[in-house]
Amino acid sequence: MLRRIPLNREQIQSLVREMPAERRTALETAFQSLRRYPLRTALTLLGLAFGVAALMATIALGRGAQEAIRDQVRAAGLNVIEITAGNYRTRGERPIGGVEAPTRHGAALPPGALERLLRKIEPVALAHPENDPMEKHDHPTAAERLGDSAAGLGAAATLTSDDAEAIASVPGVAHVASGIHESVRVFAGDRRWFTRLHGTDVDLVQIRRSFAMQHGRFFSSGELRRSSQVVVLGSVARDQLFGQNEDPVGRDVTIWNQTFEVVGVVVSTNWMNPGAPGDDEFDAVYTPFTTVHRLLNATNLNSITVTAASSGRVTEVSRSITDLLRERHGIGETQADDFTVTTQASEVLGKGLHPKVAETLAGNIPNLERTTLRQLAATLERSSRTMSALLLAIALVSLIVGAIGISNVMLLSVRERIREIGLRMAVGAQTGDVGSQFLTESVLLGAAGGVLGVVIGAVAAVVVESSFGLAVEVSVVAGLISFVVALLTGVIAGVSPARRAARLDPIVALGSE
Amino acid sequence: MAAIEVRDLVKTYVLSETHRVEALRGLTLSVDKGEFLSVLGPSGSGKSTLMHILGCLDQPTSGEYRLMGRDVARLGNDERARIRNEEIGFVFQSFHLLARASALENVELPMLYGAKRPSREERRQQAAEALEAVRLSDRATHAPSQLSGGQQQRVAIARALANRPRLLLADEPTGNLDTRTGREILDTFARLNSERGLTVIMITHDRQVAQYASRSVELRDGRILTDEAISGNGATPDA
Repeated sequence: MLRRIPLNREQIQSLVREMPAERRTALETAFQSLRRYPLRTALTLLGLAFGVAALMATIALGRGAQEAIRDQVRAAGLNVIEITAGNYRTRGERPIGGVEAPTRHGAALPPGALERLLRKIEPVALAHPENDPMEKHDHPTAAERLGDSAAGLGAAATLTSDDAEAIASVPGVAHVASGIHESVRVFAGDRRWFTRLHGTDVDLVQIRRSFAMQHGRFFSSGELRRSSQVVVLGSVARDQLFGQNEDPVGRDVTIWNQTFEVVGVVVSTNWMNPGAPGDDEFDAVYTPFTTVHRLLNATNLNSITVTAASSGRVTEVSRSITDLLRERHGIGETQADDFTVTTQASEVLGKGLHPKVAETLAGNIPNLERTTLRQLAATLERSSRTMSALLLAIALVSLIVGAIGISNVMLLSVRERIREIGLRMAVGAQTGDVGSQFLTESVLLGAAGGVLGVVIGAVAAVVVESSFGLAVEVSVVAGLISFVVALLTGVIAGVSPARRAARLDPIVALGSE
Repeated sequence: MAAIEVRDLVKTYVLSETHRVEALRGLTLSVDKGEFLSVLGPSGSGKSTLMHILGCLDQPTSGEYRLMGRDVARLGNDERARIRNEEIGFVFQSFHLLARASALENVELPMLYGAKRPSREERRQQAAEALEAVRLSDRATHAPSQLSGGQQQRVAIARALANRPRLLLADEPTGNLDTRTGREILDTFARLNSERGLTVIMITHDRQVAQYASRSVELRDGRILTDEAISGNGATPDA
């Protein structure tokens, strides 16, 4: 007849024993009452649990959407900062951050070089293999495509691996990859291909979000440390050297008369930039920068590529890096930088524009960065916010229904047990005893409903994630919030019934048949 | 020494501005410790009102009430609850047992409240003793629905005894029982009265039932009509 819900009795008893007597009684009697009406208890619990579950799922979905937005922005690459050796800033261009520092710019290059750089018309005539008139290639040279500075030609040897290490500890910096760039001939059997060689770091895979390994892997940190002769081929280079979609992993190529083992092939995951002959990412080969240093007996870097932890901090991080490098290079207040910090935004925005326009744009990059990011984020957020609002509305309604359910059941229970209340009063229960018993019952219902709801909500969130493909993040905080809301619901719902029970006149209560 | 001293007790119910009911009209009564008193009277005579006031469930409109020497006429709700818990055991006509609790749990009920609040083990122990006193130890785990009417009323008596009160108040305790079972209950009261010296006040409308007591008062219109000792001290021939 008497059903017992299995609980860890030992634990509860020891907890209960240490309570003040009044609260102990309330808890015991509340527990007993709930146990004596298992069906009623279960149904009330379910009502609240679904409300809590909806709330929990809402929070999880909301957080998931935020994460998704952050990932999207990150994938857009707007948090990439490129530091190149030498100063190629045009006259009148403002340094990163928009702070005018009149003494810092324009001093590094003669006016003629600047003209060429900006108009990108004439190739710079320098003794470089790519410009060798005897060399046969049917694509534009790196210098033609990218300009001298980006191609690493004539770059000052002002950046070092130590600079890269120092930058890694700047707050807000997520990944750092050293870079040393050369144009090389790569041989594979009887085929050869003229392409870009990037001596870089293992972190590059994290930085270039559009990179995916079609075959094999990127080189490892062990190989970087040992300056191993391993190479990762860009998909275009692979096509040229081994044939379309071939898997060259494990085969050898020759660069600078040295044998390199192919360990992987990178392809683009970005359909807007699928990789084409002459680009700098997939018509390229990647080796550890330590290997390049060893073979060329060099110590300098052409560039350091950095990602900011969040895209909103790009400007702040570039400014910190500028300050750090100026200090490390001992550049005085009145001297110009011996390096150039470029953000992806400035590069993208300035491309193909009239120098004057590019100049104005560059000066306003911090603002533009903010607006474009905001627009991107806003668009993505708008859809998720609609979703969240809808779910929150459902959650609120469910919670209200759950609270009304508890309140209703408690009120009914007070009426149904009116003689029990009368009896308890007759045998000595005081107003507070009766009130706290009913309030405790309600709170226990709230707590149990909360736990149940959090579990259901977490499960529901995971199911939603896997079946609808929505981003979901179930967090401890969401669970706690949901549980506390359930508990509060229990408290609020219990106040009125508890008061009603406590105010009963024992004679009236006993006499009601 | 008197267990109960009541003087000029008046209870008036104000139902509306023009309608008042005077349930007790200046009742004076003294009950010694160890007495077994029956209060007799037809419905409307004020016996239920008297029972409520004596049981500290209600306050008199005016008059004095001393219970075990203590003035309890003007106490507030929570103080009266405390007195009920410690000094008074109630037995009702309709038993008032918790349907979904075992006999033992029902008996434990008064020990959940009041100042002492014994531990679970002490409660269990004391409740078992009370059940033993009404000879129901073998039914401790039964639910009320598994017990006969007489057994249920004995569980209720055990509950009234649980906190070891000095006064037992019974309101028509045999009203829902057949004559034979009713006699068992009355025997139990008589035994508790003689063995433990418990003061018992029993309210009834049945003249025969009233004869079990050692003294009987009859109420009429809120006043005492007769007050007489009963020879034979309520002991039944076959007890």
